[in-house]
Amino acid sequence: MRETRLKILQYITGIGLFFLVGTHLIVSLLSSGEPTSWESVSGRAASAGWLALFIFLLIFGLYHGIHGLRTIIMELSIPKLPAKVLDWTLLVIGLAIFGYAVYIPINAFL
Amino acid sequence: MKTKAAGSENRHLPNRLGIKSWVWGGNYTLERYLYTLHRVTGLGLLLYITLHLAMNGFRLGGVESWIDIMEILGMSGFKVGEYLVAAAFIIHALNGGRLILQHLGYTLGKPKPPVYPYVDSLRRRRPIVWAMLALIVALAVYVLIVFVT
Repeated sequence: MRETRLKILQYITGIGLFFLVGTHLIVSLLSSGEPTSWESVSGRAASAGWLALFIFLLIFGLYHGIHGLRTIIMELSIPKLPAKVLDWTLLVIGLAIFGYAVYIPINAFL
Repeated sequence: MKTKAAGSENRHLPNRLGIKSWVWGGNYTLERYLYTLHRVTGLGLLLYITLHLAMNGFRLGGVESWIDIMEILGMSGFKVGEYLVAAAFIIHALNGGRLILQHLGYTLGKPKPPVYPYVDSLRRRRPIVWAMLALIVALAVYVLIVFVT
């Protein structure tokens, strides 16, 4: 049951990412000027809407990516104890990346 | 002492082929190769996200640091990489959508009596896969044109 719930979350984050990444790309590329210039980046960083989009992208992307990696590794029929270690390692790595990555847009917004 | 595979609880046979099964493990169908492509593109996108987040960290260094990293990322090798990421996203997203619909049973069709020659539901619904592949190629070519022009 736990694995089913994790898999359903994988589907939900996948569908969410389709729209979030699509919005991220379309709005960035269609905005006036070079999207990676300092002015464009600073302009987006000052917007609360972009901040919310970045945080959702980060949560959905990290969950989808790390759970996908876990699925690939678990398919190799690894024993129970290493599987438990893998779960905790991926959780810690995910939280560390989230902490680092969420600090950047929040710092820029403030 | 025997060790049990996590989550298997004697319900599944062990995965003896391991990673090698991604490439060959018998008479694979088209969908099995799409399974491999889904994993390869997924791992590529995961690597890209990690690099993208690390690159975003240069923003904290101010405008000079940002301009320096953008000059490096503007080189032609990175442009090719950027296109590959876009292509991987298209493949992963469309195939992922197909997998979700299939796992939830929407694209499997109605069950049929097992009359010889036997045709499984995947082969009966193969046109969906061909349509998806055509869409992937069309979008990948469109994005390539946008990148080049």
